[in-house]
Amino acid sequence: MKPFFSSHNLKAGYGSGDILKGISFDLEKGKVMTVIGPNGSGKSTLIKTLAGLLKPSSGDIFIDESSIVGYTSPQRIKLGMSYVPQEYNVFRNMTVKENLQLANEFMRSAKKKKTQIIDDDLLDLFPELTSKFDSLAGNLSGGQRQMVAFACALAYKPEILLLDEPSAGLSPKYMGDIFEAVKKVNELGVTVFMVEQNAIEALQISDKCIVMANGNVKYISDAKILMQSGDLHSLYLGDA
Amino acid sequence: MLSFIILMSLVICFSAILALALNFQWGLGGMINFGLAGLYALGAYACAILILKLNINFFWSTILSMLLVSLVCALISIVTLRVSEEDYFAIVTLGVGEMLRLIALNEDWLTGGALGLTGIPRPLSDSIPADIYIYVFLATYVFILLICIFLLNIIARSAFGRSMRAIREDDVVAVTLGKNLLWTRARIFAVGGLLIGLAGSMHAFYYQYIDPTQFSNIVVAYAIMAVIAGGKGSHFGVVIGSILIMILLEGSRFLKEIIPGLGSDQLSAVRIIIIGVGLILVLIYKPNGFVKEYRLNA
Amino acid sequence: MQIIFNGFVTGIVVTLPALAITLLFGVLKFPNFAVGSMLTLAAYIVFTFNVLFGLSLLFSTIITAIIFGFLLILIDQLTFAKLRGSSSITLMVCSLGLGFVLENIARLMYGNNAKSFAIELARPFLFMDIRMNREQIVTIIVSTIAMIFMYVLLKHMPIGRAMRAVSDNPSLSLVRGIDSPLIIKWTWFISGALLTIGGVLIGMDRAIEPPMGSSYLIVIFAAAILGGLGSPLGAFVGSLIIGIVSELSTLVIPPNYRIGIPLAVIALILIFRPQGIFGKPNIKK
Repeated sequence: MKPFFSSHNLKAGYGSGDILKGISFDLEKGKVMTVIGPNGSGKSTLIKTLAGLLKPSSGDIFIDESSIVGYTSPQRIKLGMSYVPQEYNVFRNMTVKENLQLANEFMRSAKKKKTQIIDDDLLDLFPELTSKFDSLAGNLSGGQRQMVAFACALAYKPEILLLDEPSAGLSPKYMGDIFEAVKKVNELGVTVFMVEQNAIEALQISDKCIVMANGNVKYISDAKILMQSGDLHSLYLGDA
Repeated sequence: MLSFIILMSLVICFSAILALALNFQWGLGGMINFGLAGLYALGAYACAILILKLNINFFWSTILSMLLVSLVCALISIVTLRVSEEDYFAIVTLGVGEMLRLIALNEDWLTGGALGLTGIPRPLSDSIPADIYIYVFLATYVFILLICIFLLNIIARSAFGRSMRAIREDDVVAVTLGKNLLWTRARIFAVGGLLIGLAGSMHAFYYQYIDPTQFSNIVVAYAIMAVIAGGKGSHFGVVIGSILIMILLEGSRFLKEIIPGLGSDQLSAVRIIIIGVGLILVLIYKPNGFVKEYRLNA
Repeated sequence: MQIIFNGFVTGIVVTLPALAITLLFGVLKFPNFAVGSMLTLAAYIVFTFNVLFGLSLLFSTIITAIIFGFLLILIDQLTFAKLRGSSSITLMVCSLGLGFVLENIARLMYGNNAKSFAIELARPFLFMDIRMNREQIVTIIVSTIAMIFMYVLLKHMPIGRAMRAVSDNPSLSLVRGIDSPLIIKWTWFISGALLTIGGVLIGMDRAIEPPMGSSYLIVIFAAAILGGLGSPLGAFVGSLIIGIVSELSTLVIPPNYRIGIPLAVIALILIFRPQGIFGKPNIKK
């Protein structure tokens, strides 16, 4: 099966040097990929580059074999990509309803031609939010904010969903809810690319896994194999 | 021609000190002083008033005016203690500068209002023979400038200077390291104030008359350009920047020859437009100037 | 009572410029010191249509608002756009330089003599024991309508939501598909209209001359900061408070130093409540 979402020798940094030293991966359509690795390994930089927030110094990114590296973030949304940043991922001074309205307005003006993967009963995934529609996003709890951020990303009916540490700082209940939601969304056909610290939970719903260290891909493997191998612990801590 | 160069050099001396003050507060301290013109006026007027109305000698008039400006600067810094945002600080300094300008304009009994103060005697002009006076005057001014640079360099290389640089680079980190952010900023601003007062006094002695029009806000633009052109942070660079700006300024006086039919009001408007555009261009295209800053090797 | 009314009018005149400052600050993240001279230049352009071309004041204002909006977009492209992402100080210094340029372009083109709009003289009248004149009524009505319109725009219209989003979080806006550069252009256009109206209202109140707008700069900033930089409602409330307090202060302070009041207000706000009345405390990451 040909790769749907991939990168080739991607290098990027914030100024003086490159943090990503040449990342290549490929992911088939409808699969889930998780990137794990210690702090400072470049996971966050990778996902920001894929989302269009950081311009790579060299290398390429492909959706369905077309290069997207020259596209801005809004353009990437039109191509079917949606991104949930790790923090500051909702507009705190706007209500939940307004946060979602922004997505709707974009969809109306973007005239997206791709078929929709998520139908309009989006909020069935997040029943808790219906009562919070008119609250300011900044006044919600961390877990609820994460739900809003997730819902907003889904409102763009993406084919590829990028998640930067979706469970960061969440209580176990919300963590479970978020991974549940990711699984359901994937079951509908969305390709998922996520960066995670909670390796075990993430790998349980993943198909493939990349372990990063020092800006490089240390290890790519099937997620189930990695979980069973027992090397996970040492790889994760960057010993190998 | 020689006298022209001497006069230019004198102006460069105190203009450079003013630019050094801005550089100290901004380049090393990270605080932009938009009220520079008003504080400069304060220095000049204070010195002039002390000499003319209270008959204090030139030395003490200068020192007292330096202390006064320094005090006002310290007060400004204390008021903005709670806020570390540069935005608010700039607005407050602009307001204070404006307020000072209004005082100069309105308090006729003290400042002579729009007419200003005249007849400011140059230091020791009685004691030194007239034919060599101007050279002694120039030598003194250059000497003062060099002392200022020397002292500023010492401060910059001292522990105090290191605190300042740490704060400027990242004030959150600096506070974590225990540097007392707000107190340090107050001291930086106050030291800058001393220099502004000095420059103001030197201005008063040079021109021998002062009025509000000499202290319009465009003064800030000149000083900022001098600092940027010379490369923010470097003391010698600032002096070079001042020289460059002075040349630009004097050169634009000759516009009158090139463009006939311009009234003097319009001419000064054109000059200010050139300075304003110049400032914007320097910001966009040459934000680092030409001279490197001294840095302690890690 | 008369004083309160005068203060109300004095305050409401700066409401629209204060709102412009607040919008620009929200989207561009720095206080724009060229706003004063922008007011002046806009007033002069209206003057040109009104007095030199003979059009009615209303029509002149409308034409100018549109022209000025585009002019500001152009100026932004030439200056601030090239410095996007720079430090606050760099942008402030740029705006300072721009202020000098705009004010002196006005001086160059129109000279230093005071000018005024071509409006019929009307006698002041008495209403409930308070002396008012037509210009003041017009000012109140126009400012209020403009504020209501801006409220609706920001709260209920897509462009307003997009502007609020960009103010709230510029990088998140990109990721949510908002065309930040376009929103910035819209913000300048809207600010241009607000500043044109503001310039006209000020020009009706006093003579039009080059330093006109800049002399209001501190008052406008005080109003915006008092209300909370970033809060449009704050701009409105802040202006009124400053206006009324300024008028009341003339009872004790000589009129020439009225600028001391806004300055004192800024100082007090910064000491006690830096975010202003409606603003949000700044959270350092």
